[in-house]
Amino acid sequence: MKTLRYFARLKGSSEPVTVDLEPLGNSRFALTLHQRRREVDVLALEGGTLSLLIEGRSFSVEIEERGEELLVETGSRLSSWDVADERRARLRPSAASFESQGKQVILAPMPGKIVKLLVKLGDEVTQGQGLVVVEAMKMENELKSPKAGKVTEVHAQEGSAVEINAKLLVVE
Amino acid sequence: MAKIRKILVANRGEIALRVMRTCQELGIGTVAVFSEADRSAPHVRMADEAYCVGPAPSRESYLVQQKILEVARTSGADAIHPGYGFLSENASFVRSCEKAGITFIGPPASAMDAMGEKTRARANMTLAGVPVVPGSTKSFPSHHEARDFAQTIGFPIMLKAAGGGGGKGMRRIDRMEDFDSAFRGAKSEALNAFGNDAVYIEKYLEKPHHVEIQIFADTHGTCVHLNERECSVQRRHQKVVEETPSPILTPQMREAMGQVAIKAAKAVNYVGAGTVEFLVDVHRNFYFLEMNTRLQVEHPVTEWVTGLDLVAWQIRVAEGARLPFDRGLKPRGHALEVRIYAEDPATNFMPSPGKITFLRVPGGPSVRDDSGVYPGYTVPNFYDPMISKLSVWAPTRPEAIARMKRALKEYVIKGITTNVRYLSAIMEHPEFVSGDYDTGFLPRNHEALLGKSDSSLEALSALASVVHAAARDERARRAHASPSPAAGTSAWRLYGRKPPRRS
Repeated sequence: MKTLRYFARLKGSSEPVTVDLEPLGNSRFALTLHQRRREVDVLALEGGTLSLLIEGRSFSVEIEERGEELLVETGSRLSSWDVADERRARLRPSAASFESQGKQVILAPMPGKIVKLLVKLGDEVTQGQGLVVVEAMKMENELKSPKAGKVTEVHAQEGSAVEINAKLLVVE
Repeated sequence: MAKIRKILVANRGEIALRVMRTCQELGIGTVAVFSEADRSAPHVRMADEAYCVGPAPSRESYLVQQKILEVARTSGADAIHPGYGFLSENASFVRSCEKAGITFIGPPASAMDAMGEKTRARANMTLAGVPVVPGSTKSFPSHHEARDFAQTIGFPIMLKAAGGGGGKGMRRIDRMEDFDSAFRGAKSEALNAFGNDAVYIEKYLEKPHHVEIQIFADTHGTCVHLNERECSVQRRHQKVVEETPSPILTPQMREAMGQVAIKAAKAVNYVGAGTVEFLVDVHRNFYFLEMNTRLQVEHPVTEWVTGLDLVAWQIRVAEGARLPFDRGLKPRGHALEVRIYAEDPATNFMPSPGKITFLRVPGGPSVRDDSGVYPGYTVPNFYDPMISKLSVWAPTRPEAIARMKRALKEYVIKGITTNVRYLSAIMEHPEFVSGDYDTGFLPRNHEALLGKSDSSLEALSALASVVHAAARDERARRAHASPSPAAGTSAWRLYGRKPPRRS
């Protein structure tokens, strides 16, 4: 079977690493990363546990799919990867960033209830100023402005319930 | 007093399961109450009987005394165990139970009155000759009076809810600029948690240790202490790690604090299990902080080193039994507990409710998991984010730490974000390992504990992510492809999944 080329990008880094995967049959693969070739025996368990035997060493890795993102736990380390094969990597648009445009959308970080709005439309805010208080699991969490600017949109309503990632406010 | 035959557990989550387990072992029937959001919660299934007591918000269900009592009456329960939180420290509920002829498993209402309102407790303890942290002797009717008092006593200060503990309605304030927002937040949280928005002010002690003494009293005048728990690993005034013995206590200090705790309990004619919390300053002076008139979250560490089942003894004392000893028990070995929360340490401990898609719980020698969740369970966003308590025992502290590290490594929870790795980082941290850590330990070392710097396992992580992605892509291809013989061979061995269909 032919070798597949994958690109794995660690969350927070801009450059992906290249991993070549060559099926050797019988659940064995040759994986090449940074010019180093390793033969790996793979057993995938239900629930996203991978048992990898690499040159005699045994690794148990926990993987969780969150959309396109793969959360990978190895020992005490958790990393988030975006992995694509050659075809998908070509289709993927270059990473767009909203931050550079200066507009900051404040999203609900969890499902909960809007306890208090601390600003109103048109208010000038400083970086770190409290914008809105969201209550979830008996704790109140004050969301702070990520930048100095002006409140240009207010979607949050006091007393209303919000879903995760609901648009609450915009600061420009 | 008569034998208790059926207990209503007026709580949810891990503590409801904890109490019911002991009931089962004692041959006592169990009654669960649950909110509309908790129909799928595990305590409903563990109980012999279960009744819905209202909508999701606890103020409309778990905190409604009439509904709980009504269930007790209709189910024929002869006693109520309140767990911790909710109605556990509510003296008016204790009185209602008395009126209804139902045994409340806990201290008498008078002891709760004396200790429950934190400001009154401080006054009572001062009278009994117990040292207290300097601060206000009453709560503040107005915002302005509170500001003035804060100004006089000087920052940093602690704002605290008069109505209860557990970190709810509690704020440390370092500057007057932060006062308004903290005051408002503390009051509103206190109202939510305890139905009482009164707050008071204490001087904040620098680098304090939080050490508490477990006491136990029966109705025959015996009151003993069962040693201490060190609870200085805290964030937002919520305990995260507890251990016993405390690494900083000498036997002399243990005895002195134990005697003061007994004195505090006797001053209010305490009955049952209770905890006297102290702050210990850098000079090892100790001050009464508050008394929790209930079973504590962290009681398992005391159970590990004493060999007692504290819930069983709560029940026996409520039945009128005598404690089988009149002096405390020497601790045997060392125990540690960590609290597993559905929250993300990397985003300021933001709660992360959601569905648990996969769960593997540690086992092996001297490991105990008190959990309130199961695989497939959706953690609701209405209640406390603690989903489990993991505790271990070992002959010595270093062995207990090693055992906890091992157990945490075995703990796998997927679908929601938890603090499991953060807890592992605490177990590795030199300051924790040294044993001399104060309540500033977590905030001071937060970045280090998030553990972003370890790159040794990055290659393995990259390889694993690619292996998983390749298997994922292969599955997707197979799902889309027509079941032709050409698609029949797979390079993957997938254990526990149905083998790929071959035609």
